[in-house]
Amino acid sequence: MTWYSGQGGLSGLVRTIGRAADDVKRVRRAWHWDTPRPHTWPEVSDVVPARASDLGWARQEPVRSIRYLIQRGLLLPFTEAMAHPKVEGREWVRELERPVIFAANHSSHADTSLILHALTDRARDRTVVAAAADYWFKRPLLGNIVSLFLNTFPFSRTGGAQAQLHSSSQLLKSGWNLVLFPEGSRSPDGRIQEFKPGVGHLANETGTPVVPMHIRGAYQVMPRGQKLPLPGPIRVRIGKPMSPEPKEGSREFTARVEKAVRTLAAEPKQPELQGTWIERWKLSKPRELRYETDET
Amino acid sequence: MPRPGAVIEVDRNTPPVLFHYGEGVRLEKLPLGARIVYPPDPLEPIAHAERAIKRALAKPLEDDPLKSLLRRGMKLTIAFDDLSLPLPPMAAPDVRQLVMEEVIDMAAEVGVEDIHLIAALGLHRRMTEDEIRHIVGERIFSTFWPDRLYQHDGEDPELNVYIGKTAEGEEVTLHKRAAESDLVVYVNLTLVPMDGGHKSMSTGLASYRGIRAHHNAKTLLGSRSYMNPPDSALHHSCIRQGQLIEDTVRVFHIETTVNNHAFPAIANFMQKRETDWTAQDQAMFLGMKQLTDLAPPAFKRNIFHAMRAPYGMTSVQAGQVDAVHDKTMEAVRKQLTVRVEGQTDIVTMGVPYLGPYNVNSPMNPILVVCMGVGYMFNFYRNKPVLRKGGVLILTHPCRYEFDAVQHPSYIDYYDEVLADTRDPFEIEKKYEQRFAEDPWFRQLYRKSHAYHGIHPHYAWIWAAHGIDHAGDIIIVGGERDVVHRLGFKAASTLEDAFEMAEQTVGRYPSVTHMRMPPIMLADVE
Repeated sequence: MTWYSGQGGLSGLVRTIGRAADDVKRVRRAWHWDTPRPHTWPEVSDVVPARASDLGWARQEPVRSIRYLIQRGLLLPFTEAMAHPKVEGREWVRELERPVIFAANHSSHADTSLILHALTDRARDRTVVAAAADYWFKRPLLGNIVSLFLNTFPFSRTGGAQAQLHSSSQLLKSGWNLVLFPEGSRSPDGRIQEFKPGVGHLANETGTPVVPMHIRGAYQVMPRGQKLPLPGPIRVRIGKPMSPEPKEGSREFTARVEKAVRTLAAEPKQPELQGTWIERWKLSKPRELRYETDET
Repeated sequence: MPRPGAVIEVDRNTPPVLFHYGEGVRLEKLPLGARIVYPPDPLEPIAHAERAIKRALAKPLEDDPLKSLLRRGMKLTIAFDDLSLPLPPMAAPDVRQLVMEEVIDMAAEVGVEDIHLIAALGLHRRMTEDEIRHIVGERIFSTFWPDRLYQHDGEDPELNVYIGKTAEGEEVTLHKRAAESDLVVYVNLTLVPMDGGHKSMSTGLASYRGIRAHHNAKTLLGSRSYMNPPDSALHHSCIRQGQLIEDTVRVFHIETTVNNHAFPAIANFMQKRETDWTAQDQAMFLGMKQLTDLAPPAFKRNIFHAMRAPYGMTSVQAGQVDAVHDKTMEAVRKQLTVRVEGQTDIVTMGVPYLGPYNVNSPMNPILVVCMGVGYMFNFYRNKPVLRKGGVLILTHPCRYEFDAVQHPSYIDYYDEVLADTRDPFEIEKKYEQRFAEDPWFRQLYRKSHAYHGIHPHYAWIWAAHGIDHAGDIIIVGGERDVVHRLGFKAASTLEDAFEMAEQTVGRYPSVTHMRMPPIMLADVE
């Protein structure tokens, strides 16, 4: 349309500007996307899968070094001071030869830092944490900060098995250990909920061993809905790595992992899950020191 | 070459001498002609402790190599000394940890599934997890705690078995697990001649029933001194019990000794003779003196109890208990012995902040007596440095201060028993049973971190020989009421104490100052 067609001109320009102003006004009025909505409306995240991003920047230098300093200087001392966690079975994660999946019960936001605290420096440095994409990454700034602190990556709870597998298997293949909470979300009452089959699926597909872990006391320290942690005793028990049997299905393997985590929750030690003392003793053997001379 | 111990005579050029004063220090001028006895310098430690341990286990004394005693399917128990040794606690790694790691390595290699580790604490308090971790190290602790690594409970009726009676009628009990084991490996750390040998098993893994056979006033008064086992009725009794234990269960004994490097670099001046003090040592002394003069007791205690001694291992031997202990005694005497000529009218000693029974707690008045008049007085061979009827002068603040968690029965003992009588025989007659069988003290011993109900009595009779021997005991700087309750005299200054002592030993008495810790053993000719 030319400027002299009668529909344009000054009036056309005014109309165009008016429409743009209307659009701006409409967008501005609707800016607060997360304001309360009618109960009948579905959650946005249920409908729209999270954007596929694995936050690769968080696993590269110099971010890794910055995270190391943040964790050693801030996160781990704070965890130690608040909970003084007792860790059993650290020898199983001392010298990991290949990536593993850490599968733990989940009752608190404190779980992640407790797991990281329980790992050795070496294992922690190569560990990523699966964080719910629809919870932690709904606000990108929050997601990025959490990722800087804890090395999280977005894990879709709603996008189906393939979506879960995609980024997780890539990470496992590139040598990263993965922390997974197979219950899917925090327990509302501290009790272990049913495990979702994702962990078995991932282990089966990638052939990765699963290290069952049980955290006791985190619910008392920081239950769901509480903003700040309270001091309290914590026990983190790490079990022997488990691998899927040759013809074991994902659901069966998940059930076995779930049973292992539930058994680790029991008070006495569980040699069949935590290993015999001889196994653990040999695993915890320090590297040989070489003496300068042969004389004693 | 480390210097041997020395006795020097005070002259005009002699610098003032250090006196320990609980959680504090003093520098005192001694009268001309007085003697100062210094402990030997620390011996050179073994360069590679792990290798020496391996060798000791492979070539034991009068026994087969440890590895040949281990077999798959056996019941193996490792018992080890508690935190009352060494003092101050050793900087990590503790030698017991190094020894136990070697033993456990062998057991793992052979495939011994059934292995237990027991802290042989007798009637001492249960240790905290951190204290045990410090002794055994993180690797052993994380592998075995709490189901296979635990502490002896001398009051558990299920866990203590009666073995029999010695020829002298002494009853012998033993921890059930040890009694049922195919092999018990005892890991000992000997700091003073009183430790180790048969005494390790016969007290460490025994119940009150077994321990009372030798922990009594008659035996203690018959031990001249208990720091010299050949002259000690306490040790004779332990040997009889130990032989009965050896008839019941196969024991492989491992003993280690450490030098007397008791203080870390920050308190180096305590380790050194005053003539050797550098400007830095003098500055450290001044700093610590000002700090301890001004700071509240709890604050000072935290600082002092955080000190870890840089002890070095001087020997390790394994095998049959008597053969092992003979070698151990040789090593201990080599480190501790100082030759002293003749006795004196007055002996002075500074009582430090720490004794075997107050690790991480205040030294209460009964423990001051146990430490000063008990252990420190008894560090002699042949005869005491103090002549019979002489005056013993100690320096300690001696406050009315008790740890309600560790020493609950001490409070009652001080308030009730010592208010009534201080005579050990009378106390045994009137009060021993009550304290030994009190259900609340028993409960605290078993479940909390309290010493056994009877323990204050043992601490008191540990000093029975010293109290009996000395004509007078004066505590310089002690709280007057407390010192009087203990049956001693209180003085404000050392000069006052000498003045008071003259009433007992006459004018111009001979004076000897035992400059310890670091500990020493006076071989009095």
